[in-house]
Amino acid sequence: MTDTPDYKAESPALEAWRMFRRNIPALCGVAMLTVIVLATLYGTFFYSGDPFDVVWAPHEPPGATPEFPLGTDYLGRNIVAGMLTGGGPTLAVGAAAAAITMVIGISLGALAGYYGGWVDNLLMRITEFFQVLPALLFAMVLVTLFSPSLWTIAIAIGVVSWPQTARLTRAEFLKIKELEYVTAARAIGARNKRIIWKVILPNAMPPLIVSATLTIGVAILFEAGLSFLGLGDPNVMSWGLMIGANREYILDAWWPVTFPGLAIFFTVFAVSLIGDGLNDAFNPKLRER
Amino acid sequence: MTALLEIEDLKVTFNTRYGQVTALDGVSLHVNAGETLGVVGESGCGKSITALATMGLIPMPPGRIAGGSIRLSGEELVGANPSRLRALRGADIAMIFQEPMTSLNPVFTVGDQIAEAIMLHQKVSPDQAFKDAVALLDRVGIPSPDARARDYPHQLSGGMRQRVMIAMAVSCRPKVLIADEPTTALDVTVQAQIFDLLNEIQRDFGAAIILITHDMGAISEMADRVAVMYAGRVIEEAGADDVLDHPQHPYSRGLIDCIPALGREDHALKEIPGVVPPLHLLGDGCAFADRCEHANDRCRREKPLLAAHGHHPAACHGVEEGRI
Amino acid sequence: MSTLLDVRDLTVRFALPRKGFFGPRPYLEAVRQVSFSLEKGRALGIVGESGSGKTTTAMAAIRLTEAASGQVLFEGQDLLSLGDEEMRAQRRDVQLIFQDPYSSLNPRARVADIVREPMDLMGLGTMEERNARVRELFQLVGLRPDQLNLFPHQFSGGQRQRISIARALTTNPKLLVCDEPVSALDVAIQAQILNLLAKLKTELGLSYLFISHDLGVVRHVCDDVAVMYLGKIVEQGSRAALFDAPQHPYTQALLAAAPSLARRKSKGYVRPLKISGDPPSPINPPRGCAFADRCPKAQDICRQTQPMLEETGGTRVACHFPGPAA
Repeated sequence: MTDTPDYKAESPALEAWRMFRRNIPALCGVAMLTVIVLATLYGTFFYSGDPFDVVWAPHEPPGATPEFPLGTDYLGRNIVAGMLTGGGPTLAVGAAAAAITMVIGISLGALAGYYGGWVDNLLMRITEFFQVLPALLFAMVLVTLFSPSLWTIAIAIGVVSWPQTARLTRAEFLKIKELEYVTAARAIGARNKRIIWKVILPNAMPPLIVSATLTIGVAILFEAGLSFLGLGDPNVMSWGLMIGANREYILDAWWPVTFPGLAIFFTVFAVSLIGDGLNDAFNPKLRER
Repeated sequence: MTALLEIEDLKVTFNTRYGQVTALDGVSLHVNAGETLGVVGESGCGKSITALATMGLIPMPPGRIAGGSIRLSGEELVGANPSRLRALRGADIAMIFQEPMTSLNPVFTVGDQIAEAIMLHQKVSPDQAFKDAVALLDRVGIPSPDARARDYPHQLSGGMRQRVMIAMAVSCRPKVLIADEPTTALDVTVQAQIFDLLNEIQRDFGAAIILITHDMGAISEMADRVAVMYAGRVIEEAGADDVLDHPQHPYSRGLIDCIPALGREDHALKEIPGVVPPLHLLGDGCAFADRCEHANDRCRREKPLLAAHGHHPAACHGVEEGRI
Repeated sequence: MSTLLDVRDLTVRFALPRKGFFGPRPYLEAVRQVSFSLEKGRALGIVGESGSGKTTTAMAAIRLTEAASGQVLFEGQDLLSLGDEEMRAQRRDVQLIFQDPYSSLNPRARVADIVREPMDLMGLGTMEERNARVRELFQLVGLRPDQLNLFPHQFSGGQRQRISIARALTTNPKLLVCDEPVSALDVAIQAQILNLLAKLKTELGLSYLFISHDLGVVRHVCDDVAVMYLGKIVEQGSRAALFDAPQHPYTQALLAAAPSLARRKSKGYVRPLKISGDPPSPINPPRGCAFADRCPKAQDICRQTQPMLEETGGTRVACHFPGPAA
């Protein structure tokens, strides 16, 4: 035997990582997101202060007072403090909402795709029902019904965004369940449960991981939107809340709205770059280049 | 006498993630009018690249024709300007591909597609072109060609689609017809029909056919002459009977002995061990040395050249030294 | 000699989409009342072109496709009447290898795990014993132990087929279903796999149900052969009888069509028996013999009544006018 010159095991995940490592925009995304996450996690150690405290005159422009480099908002609250403490909840809600979306979407999509027939019909009708509901309106109703808190917001976003994941999962399952290694698993006596979760799902993951990444971005925007409309948790500072609270005075002072807006923009942008990078990394067709 | 199509010392390289690899390393072939040349080898031996290079269809980049020449009736095709190549393609050289479903456009009827091909190269009215298309469908043995010309590709069976491809390929009476594994996707009874059709068309039109295949059985039934390729080189070339009855190169011998083809039941199946080496790992020696039971130090050190030592030309040190 | 597998009147139907909301559901009969038996230690080849139902027959026989009716007696026990758990236990005796070595191995599992999985699922032996068995199988099929931890995409097509064979042998099966095991491989690699299958058959006393479209391959591997056309067996018999004295016109046509090194262009051969056209659609099969439209011997009776499989001079043939080719 002369072939297989390299005896090192190369898992598909390792190969994907190698592709990802060569993708400059995606690495920029990772760097940006790392900075943002570190700043929101540890920024308050270096720059303490309650973001709800009124500390100075309202609408102090950025740079005018060295103590408040980004200025103050309409009540005279420190914007830097708001930025640093408000990031955590924003990111947490985004991540939690994406996780909820994935759990619901993957479970229902997997069952529908694998079993087909009436199971598929039933689950897909439910999916369509949720898909045709106006997402923002439905989320608003949920949040108002169960009093706004970070958890209800995350759940509301999850509940309105799972149908897309379910459809994607179903499509992947429909494709993969026809492949011979699935038949092979049945031929050696594997039960349905094992085939769904241990055989098909790992192979369906690449597009789902990409979709999960992008869902985080969408969820962050969603949270900002709800807060902007005044439906956020009023007791927790978040970027969306800052924008929502200051939006009426945008013509008098641009900075209280612009800085959290930029923070949201860069977070979502970073997440999208990572998502695109993962998409390319998992695509075997691009690997030969 | 010069041949109709002459390929001389053709070199094609590709840029890959392993760096530049040589896909064709000095390939020389020729085919005369009315003759069928069989090009045989395993996947990766360069037989399809040779076909694409002749058609001027090598994707560049990553591919590049690094040297050599391809002459059709004396006209040089390497480096010819793209519009001239376009005019030749389909008119003087045509090609039939392996998978007839993906080579036909699914949103047009097959009659329109053949008529389109005719109008590209001949000044005829659309009506006349369509009439010619129907006549061609009749010629390639499609029953009720009038009705079938109005069908879409998916409405036809695999064998019918390959007939349509042949009709399209011969629509301008090409001098050279390249058939790249034309029956791999088809059932045996349909394959036999397509082979018989290609032979008929050659008799009628006098075209030269280059048949690219991995199947020695197909070579036996179709080819006048055979070129055996391995790792981007021609390693043996002679008349079909010479190669089939007196293979010189151990690889050609292996290809014949390893197939359980009908008509040779007396033979035990001989294996060729290992696999074709990837192009980026080719060394200085004979590319087949690692799989060859006769290989010695010289084989691993020095590339053999195609030359007549024994019965007919083969690129093998063993044959040259009279060891095999 | 004893019978390992006895298939009786096996029929497989696939549901097609309804025409209209309340219309009756049309069915496609992919396999129509197929019967055959396989003796222990022998190889039965099922030959046919695409759409003949050869793969569906094998898959239904080992319950990877649902059969509509019939019996599959494996060592006297009807597999089709077993409960799900009983069938799962039975699977250790009945294994299969696939056509496409690229899609038949889970790309996200290491090959050692792929080969060990059947033992994991059936709870056979300790982990130590299982790993030892995997190493033993690797050696048996001609792979190196240092390749155990690699992933499927790191192997060539031929090696992947060896892995597939190792997986199938893990539980010491009695019957191995081979679905076109070499048709996706390069010609030079085919011989390696065919010789390996021949070696395993003698060394382990395996029985094969061997599906192929390639008459040369079947002739090399199989002791008995059944030829299928549009869901039915049209001729079956021993290898010698079927290849040397085929009785059915379709078998004769297949043999005439298969490329042969004995036919040379230089000798100006003319194909002895030419058939035109394609097989009819299984959605609406003809009333009489399915081959009648393409058959040079067809008479009125062929289009009216289906011929039954009957003993005639060496093979069993379903034809109104059996006999050697004209």
